[in-house]
Amino acid sequence: MGQRKPSRDTSRPAEPRHAAPRPAPAHAAPRGGLRLNVTSDPANLADVRHALEGFCLQNGLGQEAAADVGLCVNEAMANVTRHAYGGATDRPVLVTAHFDGSAVTIQVRDWGNGVNPAGVEPKQDPTAPGGLGLVCLRRLLDECVYTPQPDGMLLTMRKRRPAACKTA
Amino acid sequence: MDLKTISPLIPAARKVGDALVLALRGEIDLNSSPELRSEVLALMAKSTPKRIVFNLAGVPYMDSSALAVLVEAMQKMRKVGGKVHLTNLQPRVQGLIEIARLGTIFVIAKDEAEALK
Repeated sequence: MGQRKPSRDTSRPAEPRHAAPRPAPAHAAPRGGLRLNVTSDPANLADVRHALEGFCLQNGLGQEAAADVGLCVNEAMANVTRHAYGGATDRPVLVTAHFDGSAVTIQVRDWGNGVNPAGVEPKQDPTAPGGLGLVCLRRLLDECVYTPQPDGMLLTMRKRRPAACKTA
Repeated sequence: MDLKTISPLIPAARKVGDALVLALRGEIDLNSSPELRSEVLALMAKSTPKRIVFNLAGVPYMDSSALAVLVEAMQKMRKVGGKVHLTNLQPRVQGLIEIARLGTIFVIAKDEAEALK
């Protein structure tokens, strides 16, 4: 496991472990949401993935949609480690999630190189290395928006609760 | 013939004729896929198979980095005219393969017996 387990705190803001600036209030999860401060160590991927899947299930998204969110958060965080942080495993990543009654919105904030993956062309050859994480984000989510920050990147992902789950 | 493995990600490996049969286990993501890659490449180098069969019954989840290991194995096998078979796909792994449009790149089989026919 990485040096730091994800901290789950739904009541008060928490600072990323390292000297990154405090996220703006717009990034904060509202009461009842999920907020995870982790490092960019891939050892944290499973815990974050499981936490997000659990959050989606609690909010009625169903197994399939929750699994989609888990995979996309995994891929987003892996891209942060590999690309935004150039492989560094000790940098801060903030993951928040909230449910608005119809969809789960997840944000992944990093303080990396600020390169916007949205400009990457979809891969044509499925056997070519790299790029599959973005394919997952584009295909499995209802919304996926990268918003450059002065000191990094903010990824906002949105997954609607399937209609079949609304009466569950 | 059973082969010795080091990684718990591959609890069982054996050579059946010209096929290398590997049983994988666990949720495999960027944290563990480098270990998987190292072990798979070592077993391939040691056994020089014409086919590789990955039994994924014990893999409920993998991310793109793990799938990339299977693709790399497939590309190495292609160079020697071989193929990679995937068996016992669990729903989430099957879903990832479909998203990645790799369903026709690998040979998908129900189980090891079907793959080894």
